[in-house]
Amino acid sequence: MSGNEQAFTPSKGLTVGVEVELQILNSRDYDLARDAADLIGLLEKTPHPGAVKPEITESMVELNSSIHAGHDTLLAELKAIRDTVVQAASRLNVRIAGGGSHPFHMWADRRIYPTERFRHLLALYGYLAKQFTIFGQHVHVGCPDGDVAIYLTHILSRYVPHFIALSASSPYQQGEDTSYASSRLNTVTAFPLSGQVPFVHSWKEFLEYFEKMRGYGIVESMKDFYWDIRPKPEYGTVEIRVFDTPLTVEHSAALAAYTQSLARYILTDRPFAPLRDVYTLYNYNRFQACRYGLDGKIVNAYTQRHVRLKEDILETLAVIAPHAAALGNGLALAKLAADVEAGRSGANRLREIFRERGSLNDVARVQSDMWMGATEPARAKEASRP
Amino acid sequence: MTTFLPQYPFPPNPVLLFGLLLLAGVAGGELVKRALRLPRIVGYVLIGLLLGASGFNLLDPGLVGESWIFVEIALGLVLFELGRRLHFKWLRNDPWLLATGLLESALAFGFLYLTLAYFGVQPIYAAVAAAIGVSTSPAVVLLVAQELKAEGQVTERALNLTALNSVVAFVLTTMLLSWIHHEYRAGWTTVALHPVYLLGGSLALGFAASVVAIALSRWLGQRAERQFALLLALIVLTIGAARMLELSVLLALLALGVFSRNLDTRHDVMTVDLSGIGQIFYVVLFVVSGARLPLVELMLGGGLAVAYVTARFAGKLIGVMSLSHLSGVRPGAALMLGVALMPMSGLALAIVHGTTDLYPEFGARLAAIVLSAVLILELIGPVAVQFALKRAGEARDAA
Repeated sequence: MSGNEQAFTPSKGLTVGVEVELQILNSRDYDLARDAADLIGLLEKTPHPGAVKPEITESMVELNSSIHAGHDTLLAELKAIRDTVVQAASRLNVRIAGGGSHPFHMWADRRIYPTERFRHLLALYGYLAKQFTIFGQHVHVGCPDGDVAIYLTHILSRYVPHFIALSASSPYQQGEDTSYASSRLNTVTAFPLSGQVPFVHSWKEFLEYFEKMRGYGIVESMKDFYWDIRPKPEYGTVEIRVFDTPLTVEHSAALAAYTQSLARYILTDRPFAPLRDVYTLYNYNRFQACRYGLDGKIVNAYTQRHVRLKEDILETLAVIAPHAAALGNGLALAKLAADVEAGRSGANRLREIFRERGSLNDVARVQSDMWMGATEPARAKEASRP
Repeated sequence: MTTFLPQYPFPPNPVLLFGLLLLAGVAGGELVKRALRLPRIVGYVLIGLLLGASGFNLLDPGLVGESWIFVEIALGLVLFELGRRLHFKWLRNDPWLLATGLLESALAFGFLYLTLAYFGVQPIYAAVAAAIGVSTSPAVVLLVAQELKAEGQVTERALNLTALNSVVAFVLTTMLLSWIHHEYRAGWTTVALHPVYLLGGSLALGFAASVVAIALSRWLGQRAERQFALLLALIVLTIGAARMLELSVLLALLALGVFSRNLDTRHDVMTVDLSGIGQIFYVVLFVVSGARLPLVELMLGGGLAVAYVTARFAGKLIGVMSLSHLSGVRPGAALMLGVALMPMSGLALAIVHGTTDLYPEFGARLAAIVLSAVLILELIGPVAVQFALKRAGEARDAA
């Protein structure tokens, strides 16, 4: 890592961007396929917005959006990238699915994407590297400087259960119902450098911590920390990494809009000071969100009261409504609020599909139908409309 | 007095034969795998050669005839599986794949016909032998892919192209039947109607079976173990019915696979894994194929066989290489795809067998042309597929 990377590149405050990890399925039995290299190769020849990159195993690809000021342009871009990816995938006869986990793939069947970094990770982490075939969405929020980034990271930590419950879509793993709404994060927790940012109060303090860890030879760059939320100095952002990849790009954009509006509320109103107790309660609250989704009960570190996540989220949505409106995210968050009110979530939807169809192969198939936009001709019509 | 004891010579029975073939195959496959690191199929064929007419003659033509039913079940399973892989939607989304399949079939046929004609083979024999050469052995490609646990574009495309060229080979040989009938002065009704009956009847049988498969799958629900039994039942039933009705077992089963996949708009039929049971029949298939090859005679026709193999490979390779880049195949993969289409075996034997039944003399002369090439390709075909899939980076142990 160069010395420059430690400097926090200032970015336009409160901009938003996403990275979405996706599943590549075969179209025979909808198990994970391994066509990432061919898919990426084909996409390199097709002009499209954003970027499509490899991930740790050959069954995954990652979509990157560009930087956006609000929900609507982000969604438009995500749809454009999706359509390009879907078209390339259909030429290779593979399918693309959202969701935090593949319902029945076997981790031992996975193969590491052949780059030096990924091979290094396999050598270091052994089977965990292959089990890391799980699918998350990362939301980046732009920050003007490092101190703001540290502050935002600490306050957003209190909302991590929200992010988990709103995105939870990994109820099945390795052919079994895990009983969790998001089982994906259990896999992340196994990594030694997972967890949370240290309780530091300035960018300077943070750099001291980072240098210490680098001095010990534990990390080389920020990439080596698998934290739930981490500052990303080279982009000038705070990166929230606890989201399961949602089932549709529409939901991806809605989650980004929620995060962005929340960040605007936090940075404009500065409603709380960082609190150590947030981290004391952190793992318990995180577990509740993973296990029960919107029905989880968390302890609010600031009020010391138990609260159901569903209510806490609805309350937060009401509080941040003016900020959402200012960013042009009002409509998207209204839809999100309706979903929360009705208890609709990705995990619940997947379990419904399993009850209707009776096989996890079909769950994976419907998962891919949903992400790809179900009926392609219908979408073509929609796209041609002004 | 001792009437309860068996009388020598012991009458063979099919069950005993099946067990012996399987045992021999397993041993031969394992020996070849361990000693030479070659695909097991090569071992099955070699053990067949050893036990067959060219070797110790334990598997004499009579016994080989007895084992024909196992071969048909094996080929039925392979073609069903292959048909399930032929996805019309893919051909629509990537029309160049379809174009590649048609071009490589056409070039293989053309090159083969011209080569055989050049060597002085009579036009009708040249045409039928060329038509047979259009098909890639589905059993070899499928089995090697399963053995390597290969997955990816080269594997999937090789299987789809194999399905396509098998269809082309069936249609061509069936149409050429008219010519053969004409040559043997069969009545005009036979000349005109036999191909129609074979093609139409086999397709209709496969179609009917697939309608039943879809309806019963819906009724059974999404349970892999129940659907496994259902599909196996329908496969065996279709094989039996095709035999009974003098239709093409191969085409009927291919049609069953294709229709059960492509007509199943509500996704009622699960993709069940038949490879476990298939494996058992495939071993027998290749041992019997080996046993059927008369080695010494074939050596004599070696020159023609080499020309046949070369012309066929050139046609397929040029066909694949000239269009593959249009269908989004990564550079380098097209070559491997062409190499993977090389095998020829059980399917070709079955087609030869089909014509031998009608006119033994014609069958014998055709066999003399085709079987030497089959012998070569039975041995190098599996190696070629293994090389191609490993080289393409699609084998499990390659990464």
